[in-house]
Amino acid sequence: MITSTNHHPDENMLIEFSAGTLDTAASICVSAHLHFCSSCRAKLLRLDQVGSQLMSQAEPVEVKDDALALVMEKIDSGDNAAPKEPSFHGDMPFSVNKLMGTSLINKNWKRLSSSVDVARFKTGQDDFEVALHKICAGGKTPKHDHEGLEYTVVLKGSFSDENAVYREGDFLLRQPGDVHQPMGAQNGECICLSALSAPIKPTSPLGFLMKPWLRINPM
Amino acid sequence: MITSTLRKTSQTRPVEDRVATLNNSEKRSDQWSQLLISVGETRDRKAFAQLFQHFGPLLKGFAHASRNEGWFPGLGDDLVQEVMIKVWNKAAGYNAEKASATTWIYTVARNCRIDMLRRKSNTQHLPLENEDFWHEPDEETPISLLQQKRSEDRVQASLAQLPKEQDQILRKVYLEGKSHAEASAELGLPLGTVKSRVRLALQKMQLIVSKEAQE
Repeated sequence: MITSTNHHPDENMLIEFSAGTLDTAASICVSAHLHFCSSCRAKLLRLDQVGSQLMSQAEPVEVKDDALALVMEKIDSGDNAAPKEPSFHGDMPFSVNKLMGTSLINKNWKRLSSSVDVARFKTGQDDFEVALHKICAGGKTPKHDHEGLEYTVVLKGSFSDENAVYREGDFLLRQPGDVHQPMGAQNGECICLSALSAPIKPTSPLGFLMKPWLRINPM
Repeated sequence: MITSTLRKTSQTRPVEDRVATLNNSEKRSDQWSQLLISVGETRDRKAFAQLFQHFGPLLKGFAHASRNEGWFPGLGDDLVQEVMIKVWNKAAGYNAEKASATTWIYTVARNCRIDMLRRKSNTQHLPLENEDFWHEPDEETPISLLQQKRSEDRVQASLAQLPKEQDQILRKVYLEGKSHAEASAELGLPLGTVKSRVRLALQKMQLIVSKEAQE
């Protein structure tokens, strides 16, 4: 398991994830990062311990006398068997696997530009478009700014921009005003999970080439 | 096909055996984890009843503490039932080297509570349940129950020492289930203040952890 990720969600995101208050799109991305990052998993365990200790200290409320009997009855009736979990595709995070198995809008990649393909997910929320992006080896994407938030997690391969190289598991959050031009690594294609809250705006004259990027389709 | 593009030669580590043998001090250290292991290994109904007696009222309290959209009066009883059935069904997969029973049951309860509230307040089909975000690979370095119990005791002790406003914000986030943005609106504080207050509380707690760890 790869544990040498360099870019992580910030502490507040992990806290909200641990408390269960983070929105769905961000939670998908954090869970994907956790799949690769043992140091964030260790942090998360400590945060979960805070939650569990707070729960233990919360005012207990008496349960009904027959509550246990009812639960045993349900267990014995056998209609509560745990549902079968979807099978893993290679080494992908569980949530991404499940989305790929159940919620792809199209079964095949769609071309966004000469170097970028996209596959969008239905995730049952209206705030973010959640999708996979595939950048071909050495592929350049248009330089762009962001009008809203953009979460990215590298799932396979690597890409770089003006600031750094991002490898498997790396978690990035772009905010309005962050202009960047991602480029796929030379040695192979790069697949990223992304959640985008608003259309990104091109800043280069060739920006019209990335017109399809401008439509976000939250599902 | 997208799925085939993503598939790669994975080297899945063999699933590590769950702790079957615990030394005596570990057994004493956390009776709840021990009971949960018994439920998982031998479908021990007595152990399950003990877990139910301990966690049932806590789970109901946890449901009552929720201040989320979708809250309904029967949430408490429903949550106790749903969580305890999950505990029974998932006990065989419980790994005491990843988390104590208390922490494990908290994560089940948190996920259940969110999913139950979402089902009440959301009309859209939700392909993912909160539980789906919590499938993490096993760690290379297991944590013994004794270590976990110690670290939980430290968390508990440091919670008791937090200043009131830090304690309040953690309760709002974890027990009431308020996002940072909701807490900010409710308390009439800027979002940045809520964020830093939550971080401050945890830094203070981690400081105590690290100080003790050096001893």
